[in-house]
Amino acid sequence: MRALVNKSPMPGFGLGMGITLTMLSLVVLLPIAALLTYGFSFGPGEVWRVVNTERVWAALYLSFRISLFAALFNLVFGVVLAWVLARYEFPGRRVVDAIVDLPFALPTAVAGIALTTLYAPKGVFGAFSRDYLAPLGNTLLGPFGLHFSGKIAYTQWGILIALIFVGLPFVVRTVQPVIAEIEREVEEASATLGAGRAYTIRRVILPALAPAALTGFALSLARAVGEYGSVIFIAGNIPMKTEIAPLLIVIRLEEFDYAAASAIGIAMLLISFSMLLVINLIQIWSRRRIGHV
Amino acid sequence: MRRIVAAVVTAISLGFGPQIASAESLLNVSYDPTRELYRAVNEAFSAKWVAEGHEAPKLESSHGGSGSQARAVIDGLKAQVVTLALGADIDKIAEKGLLAEDWQSRLPHNSSPYTSTIVFLVREGNPKGIKDWSDLVRDDVEVITPNPKTSGGARWNYLAAWAWAEKNGKDPKEFMKELFSHVPVLDSGARGATTTFTQRGMGDVLLAWENEAYLSLQELGDDQFDIVTPSLSILTEPPVAVVDKNITSEGQGELAKAYLDFLYSPEGQAIIWKNFYRGWDTSKADPADVARFPKLDLVTIADFGGWKKAQAEHFADGGTFDQIYTAK
Repeated sequence: MRALVNKSPMPGFGLGMGITLTMLSLVVLLPIAALLTYGFSFGPGEVWRVVNTERVWAALYLSFRISLFAALFNLVFGVVLAWVLARYEFPGRRVVDAIVDLPFALPTAVAGIALTTLYAPKGVFGAFSRDYLAPLGNTLLGPFGLHFSGKIAYTQWGILIALIFVGLPFVVRTVQPVIAEIEREVEEASATLGAGRAYTIRRVILPALAPAALTGFALSLARAVGEYGSVIFIAGNIPMKTEIAPLLIVIRLEEFDYAAASAIGIAMLLISFSMLLVINLIQIWSRRRIGHV
Repeated sequence: MRRIVAAVVTAISLGFGPQIASAESLLNVSYDPTRELYRAVNEAFSAKWVAEGHEAPKLESSHGGSGSQARAVIDGLKAQVVTLALGADIDKIAEKGLLAEDWQSRLPHNSSPYTSTIVFLVREGNPKGIKDWSDLVRDDVEVITPNPKTSGGARWNYLAAWAWAEKNGKDPKEFMKELFSHVPVLDSGARGATTTFTQRGMGDVLLAWENEAYLSLQELGDDQFDIVTPSLSILTEPPVAVVDKNITSEGQGELAKAYLDFLYSPEGQAIIWKNFYRGWDTSKADPADVARFPKLDLVTIADFGGWKKAQAEHFADGGTFDQIYTAK
């Protein structure tokens, strides 16, 4: 090990690296390795056979598609929220700042039940959506041949809302410190050099924010893909329509079919890994393009 | 330091030692809708056990989905007694060698000290006029039932509907397909489905364990819901068994056996009737508890060739339930 790394003037590398590797192995790598070994002990062909069914593809497509929408939503609104919290002083700012963390602390099942209570047809928002949003939406979307029934809970809209809820803090908390660090002088310099507001945002602020925003996006996406507790209450869980992949894994476990459960788990792991890899590559590319911030 | 160690050792030997040595403990791993039942059973059994001259036992009950509870026991949860929703779940535990494969013949009535059935819970006054299974596929009716893949109770619901269709000259698979097209939400467990129906106001009828239906009336008021008993339903037999491999001492074995035998005793049966299950022995039961259940035609799991066959045909991967949702 000593030969592999440059001797650093900073003490404690050996110990630090040892603890890092041990903890990472015990907490992250071992369980994932166990999943992979267990799954592939049936052979890659068997894994493929289990995954390659209409039902599993429908669930995977649903999970990843809605997670992507939720993460995109969080990317935009999380950055706005972080911007407001970092840049402006207003009464109650600290309270709002603390509220952002609540989805982290709340047990996901509790979040799911609370959201379902609100968005079910009998709930406050559910009734509002049915009575007001649905007619409005259909007036606007009708000409395009689209239809909105006004139902939120027990549809894909419900899943989207649950995933937005659990993922929002990730974007806010990764972007907020970066916004706080961007110096106002840079924006002022940009303004004095004749740039308009939109130009300043596009060429000065967004490039500086991009790496952090992407990290937040990736975290929010990853959390959404694996989310179970909050979603199953609001999803309705109808196969081929609102059945998420994690539920399908639980269903396979209920059938005592450990092999199929781990095969779907492996599929999710591989898809997630490739998505995170792409996001990381974009991050590296954007860093290189704008230099280290 | 030495003094602290000595103090701790003394404390253990005086305070905790004797208890650990003589009071037996028992973990009963059960399914969701038996919370209230076993709370009452544990209290009564404990009192009886002490009255018979034993040390007060430590009785614990764990509740959850029947399948996941069985899996927990298979994966090493040290349950001395299992009381699950389906024989199929205990069969799975037996397959792993934790108890004898013929466990179901060790206690009377297929090892089911209580039975129940599947009934309909409808809104007060039965506004949609739901009387029988045929009404569930009417255009204006929405049905709430949990997912048979994740809920033991839902499997009974499914088989009851299947049996009705078969007896009434319908193609059962087509009937089930139509029925499930009227199901807007598939909760993962029986309690969740009850919540969806009662609290969220979803659906016109809830397919439920009879005991859950009566419990809902008791908890939420009988001015809100009515129970409709269909012309034909299924005899649900939630079985109980001692998990032999998890018994660590002779005393614990005795306790576990006495615990399950208590369920069959007149006192135990009275508690069972009181908690809205159908018992076998009415000698000590409150006649009002017994009188509330209407008579109805009941098929049994044996009519489906036993749980092993029913499980494989209907609920395994690719079974009839999966076909309902994947067939185009």
